[in-house]
Amino acid sequence: MKRVRILMAIAAAAMVAGLYLTLTSPTDRLQGEFTRIVNIHAPSMWVAFLAFGVTALASILWLVRKTDRWDRIAEASVETGVLFTATGLFTGMVWGQAVWGRAWDWADPRMASTAVMFFVYIGYLALRRATPDPVMRARRSAILGAIAVVQVPLVYFSVNLFRSLHQTQSIRPDGATMPDEMVIALLVNFLAFTLLYVALTAGRVEVAKAEESRSGETVPAGDAVATPLLSEVEDV
Amino acid sequence: MSDQVIVFGTFFICYAAFVWYAARLHLRYRRAKG
Repeated sequence: MKRVRILMAIAAAAMVAGLYLTLTSPTDRLQGEFTRIVNIHAPSMWVAFLAFGVTALASILWLVRKTDRWDRIAEASVETGVLFTATGLFTGMVWGQAVWGRAWDWADPRMASTAVMFFVYIGYLALRRATPDPVMRARRSAILGAIAVVQVPLVYFSVNLFRSLHQTQSIRPDGATMPDEMVIALLVNFLAFTLLYVALTAGRVEVAKAEESRSGETVPAGDAVATPLLSEVEDV
Repeated sequence: MSDQVIVFGTFFICYAAFVWYAARLHLRYRRAKG
């Protein structure tokens, strides 16, 4: 846990640096103050993609090696990824309302595909809670985690493949379409959010380990959905 | 509402969500460790 605390302190310092650069960087002439929201929105979505990619990798490794470690990493990464997808969607909606004049449009392929991805990974967490047997839970979620990752490139390239309100990539191999100060602020935030993802996921893995060692087995599924055995309800 | 208030409010909600999740992990860990 000491390692997680160090990671969390580094991530917090990077987040403060990112926030400072965000608040002091120049704004776009048309978007005004709302330019700053992009410095949370884009890194949030990057971390969500990273988290679901890590989940897919850990899921495949669980299917190959069947060790608890990979199951814990897959679960932790989805939980963190869902949190960052939520902040990505929320900031995108606030920015969209201010700049495009509407917070949501199902006709936009990136918004629609991101929403589907968000609900699929919430479904992943629900599937885990609904499966009491630890081995069955790990297998089912590993299969879903390995398949669901196909949505990540679909969301990312949706702006290139379909007509979209979203712009195409702003930082490209041939240069950026923004001033240097804005690019630096954005890149520092990408780094800070990545460090925060690593710290939160490592923390979640430690929580899972602690809860497993306490219960003597693996993390129990939600009591509300697990069907009790008849032998356990004899007093009813 | 001014643009700055909306932007700062958005930042506050997002950072609060990160802090809430980290605090929740900390509490769960302490509870599990007894």
